[in-house]
Formats: sequence, structure tokens, C-alpha cells
Amino acid sequence: MLKTEVNELLTRIGPGTPGGALFRQYWVPALLAEELPENDCPPVRVKILSERLIAFRDSEGRYGLLDEFCAHRGASLWFGRVEECGIRCAYHGWKYDVTGQCVEVPSEPENSNFCSKVRLTAYPLVKVGDILWTYLGDPATRPPLPEFEFCHVPSDQTFASKRWQESNWLQALEGGIDSSHVSWLHSGGLKSDPLFKGAKGNQYNLNDLRPFFEVAEADGGLFVGARRNAEDGMYYWRITPWVMPSFTIVPPRGDHPVHGHFWVPIDDENTWVYTFDFHPVRPLTETEVQAMKDGHGVHSRNIPGTYRPMENKDVDYLMDRDAQRRGETFSGIRGIAQQDASLQESMGPIVDRSKERLVSSDTGIIKARQKLRKAVEALRDEGTTPPGVDPAHHRVRSAAIVLPQEESFIDSAREAVAVQPGVAHTTV
Amino acid sequence: MAAPILSSSCARAATAAEARFRIDAEIGPRRALVVALDDGAAAIVDRVAERPWGAARFFTAAAVAPRLAEELDDADVAIMVGTAGADADAAASLAAACFERGIMTAGLILGERHAVGDAVAALRPYARNLMATEDEDDVAAVLTALRA
Repeated sequence: MLKTEVNELLTRIGPGTPGGALFRQYWVPALLAEELPENDCPPVRVKILSERLIAFRDSEGRYGLLDEFCAHRGASLWFGRVEECGIRCAYHGWKYDVTGQCVEVPSEPENSNFCSKVRLTAYPLVKVGDILWTYLGDPATRPPLPEFEFCHVPSDQTFASKRWQESNWLQALEGGIDSSHVSWLHSGGLKSDPLFKGAKGNQYNLNDLRPFFEVAEADGGLFVGARRNAEDGMYYWRITPWVMPSFTIVPPRGDHPVHGHFWVPIDDENTWVYTFDFHPVRPLTETEVQAMKDGHGVHSRNIPGTYRPMENKDVDYLMDRDAQRRGETFSGIRGIAQQDASLQESMGPIVDRSKERLVSSDTGIIKARQKLRKAVEALRDEGTTPPGVDPAHHRVRSAAIVLPQEESFIDSAREAVAVQPGVAHTTV
Repeated sequence: MAAPILSSSCARAATAAEARFRIDAEIGPRRALVVALDDGAAAIVDRVAERPWGAARFFTAAAVAPRLAEELDDADVAIMVGTAGADADAAASLAAACFERGIMTAGLILGERHAVGDAVAALRPYARNLMATEDEDDVAAVLTALRA
């Protein structure tokens, strides 16, 4: 249970809200790099943290992220033309560069300097890995660029996708922290998904449906350990890092690539889920990449030309009761991503947490909410920089590891959960 | 698969307006037994106990030991709170009694990570859900979340 006022504090992320101020401390994904594939390509509408923006790539390859609407009459620049190092409004030809500066107002005399007085709000847009990242906060406190491992390995070792989720960001994120649902909702995938199957760890998962959970503080967020019985005297640990505000890495399975998510609020009731897979020491195989494109693993099968999953709210997620009956899927929904999304969206656009009944296995979620609340309040009341802003906090890994029962996961796996470039991840 | 015919009978029905009327049945408080496993934890539990709670009861390990069976009779979760000096024997006794009765156990160990390693290890076999934290407010946060 969460008090209504705290639920509001954490779920509202628009300009001027305390929760929005928190998100505006971080670099967050704004687009996949594939959305602006070449210079002077068509612009893309971007809604993020409730702000409507337009992204474009100019004639010299510079990325721009501006207020979507022309300062003249408020028309959308999405209808505009990207040409000669700027974006030109289709209505009356006003033109802006990547900094938001108006550089031409055709109706003014040729020697007029009027355009120099017109500027749109603009945010930085920077390519790191396969993602274009932005920072919507105060330029004076802009942190260094993100250092998450998945976007710093060679390009043939990483793959990213995204999908639209029709719910608030927090209930989507909480699914990434909550390991206890995996043995149920995703049990079918452990046996059959090409990006999961075959790992020895899967047997530990399926043989012990009542894991113990342990939550430990990390500099940038939390480590959540899920512990299951392994061979005599040993435990199988799955360690999930959460980096504030909304980045999680799923513990690995065998030599499969490692995957995770960045949950980015579009507005209070919609979320972009950026999903990545990477391998720290080898290129992804063609088979693996094709499986990711086909919506296996934690990726989604999207409607062609969009980032909307085929299994979406309008079609009841293509519920397949026969597959459910046969045991191929636990819930009848295809794919891990939409198995999660279908349930999280069913909770309502912003779930009313004052009505929920948490149990003690929800400790990870309870602690994450507590850390978010404290960070929002400390930023609002004292201007304290929250955890997860420092790029050092990004250099964490998930891990799957078998340890003697008497050992602490957080001490024994200390090296396993730290990024070591060129060193394989710890996995079972 | 039969396609849904009405908007009220498909996933599209999940709207903010509709969600306001969900789960309106009364939800009773969780009967939590909160047990301090050492002197440091006792001070913390005393402070937490001063807040208004539903059906939560607060004890030290020594105080609850003679009446443990009685206190567990109607409990549905036992929360062990410890610091660096957490009493592993007390945790073991409490956990064994909870196990017999099918009562969920959780543990919160408070203190800096390097100082509470032994206490965390002591509780690990007995607490199905264990949190190591430096933030005393987490005790109240867990109890609030559980509706204790």
C-alpha cells in the first residue's frame, strides 16, 4: 500500500512536478538512433516527460530536439522540411537550427534581424550506442553522458528496440524489479524462448517456485537478489540491479545475451520501454538478432512501421486460450514483454496503490518506492542530486551465480555485478 | 479467438475514470508481529511503535519468547528487525515457529553494509524476505506497505 499523495508524487512527471524534476536530473533515451537514420531525414515527433518535441538530424549530422511547435502560429514542425542545416515550418517558412534558434523569417525584410529574437526551447540530443539520449533539466547541472555497458560495447555486440506501453512508468518499472512473477507469468518462455532456453539456471528457477528475496543498497539504486535452492549446500542467486530512476538489467541465462530495460515516461499514462540485449565479449549471432527482431526474449513484435506491439490493448493482446491450455504460455499472451504489459496496463493507466495488498516478497518494490520518494523530496527540499546521476552508478551488471549457502550474495558477487570491459558476465 | 464486441468487455475498458471504482471492498489490516532482535533494534522498534498502526504488535525477542505461541496464533507475518548485533538464535526460534504455522517471515537489518554482514548472514536462513538498509524509515515503510 502506498498513500495516495506519495503515489501522486512518484507517478506525475510533467513540467513543474516534483517527480518530473527528478527525471529531469538524468539523461534519458529519447529515440532509437534508427529513427533518424541519415542527414536531412524526416523529423520525428517525440513526447517525453509530457513535453511535445520534434527531433531532427540536420545536413551536417547534428541532432536537434526542439519544442514541436513553431513560435509564429503554433503549427507543428512535424509537417516541416529538414533542409540546409535546419527545420523549416511548412506553414510560413520559419526556419530553426538544432539549438532552437530561429534563423530565417521569410516574411521579414532581407536585412531584418527579427529572427535572432526568436528561439524555441531545445534540448541536447546525443547518440550513445544505438540510443539518442536527451537531458531535459537545467543546463547548469547537466551530468556527463550515460555509461551503461549495453551502449558502450562494440555495435555488433548490442541490439536495442522499443515499444509503447499504455501505463504509467512506475508500474512498468516495478515489473522489472519484481522477480517473483517470473516463475509464474514467464514460465513458458524459460522452456521455449530461443533467447532463454537451455540454461542450467532455468532448472533452478522451475524447480523452486518459492524463492527467498534479499534487497541490498547500491550507490545508484538497489541490488535485488532472488535465491533458490541449488545442489546440496548451495543457492542459485539471480541478481537484478536497479539504477535510478528507471533502468534495470535482467540476470543472464547461460551464454545468452544479457537484457534489460529503460522505462521512459511519455506522459503520466504512457511509457516508452527501451529494451536492449548485449553480450560483453562476443558479437550477437544473426540468429539471436533475428529472434530479438521477431519479439523473442524481452523484445516485442511490433506492428510494422511503428513501435506499438502487435499484442496490444485494442486486440486484447491476441489472447490465445489454447496456448494457455497447452501450457505453452502461462497467461495466454505471446512474448515476455507483452505478458508483462498486458497485466500492467490492466491495472489502469496509473494504478491506485492505496488499494493494493503487498506481501513481504514485494520488499524490493517497497524499497524502490522509498528510495524514489526520498530522492524526490531531497531534490525538491534541498536540491540534492539523486542517486543514478553519476555515470559511475551506471557501471553495474546483473548476475546469475551459484554460491555456498553461508555466503552473502552482495559480498561474494561484488566483482560479478561490476562492469569489467572485455570480461564475460557471471552466468549459469 | 472470439473478438470482444463491447468496449466494456475488452482490455480497452481499463481507463482512469473506470479505475477509480476498483477494489472497493474493505481491506483489513495485516496482523504483523514485529520483533527486535537486539538492543539497537529495540530502540528503533520502540520509535516505530509510537506511530498509529492497525493490528501490528511490537516486541523484543526476550519479551516475546515466553508467549510466542500465543502471539503467533493470529499473526500473518513476522518481521524481524536487527542491527549489527542481531541475535541469530532468537531469529532461528521465531522462524521455526513461523514455519510450523505457515507464517511469512521478513527481516530488516539496519546499519552500514560492512558492519551488518554477520547479522544479515545470521538471518538469511530464516527470513524469506531480507532487506539490508541504512535507512531506519524503511521499517515503517515496510509496515505501511503491508497495511500492518
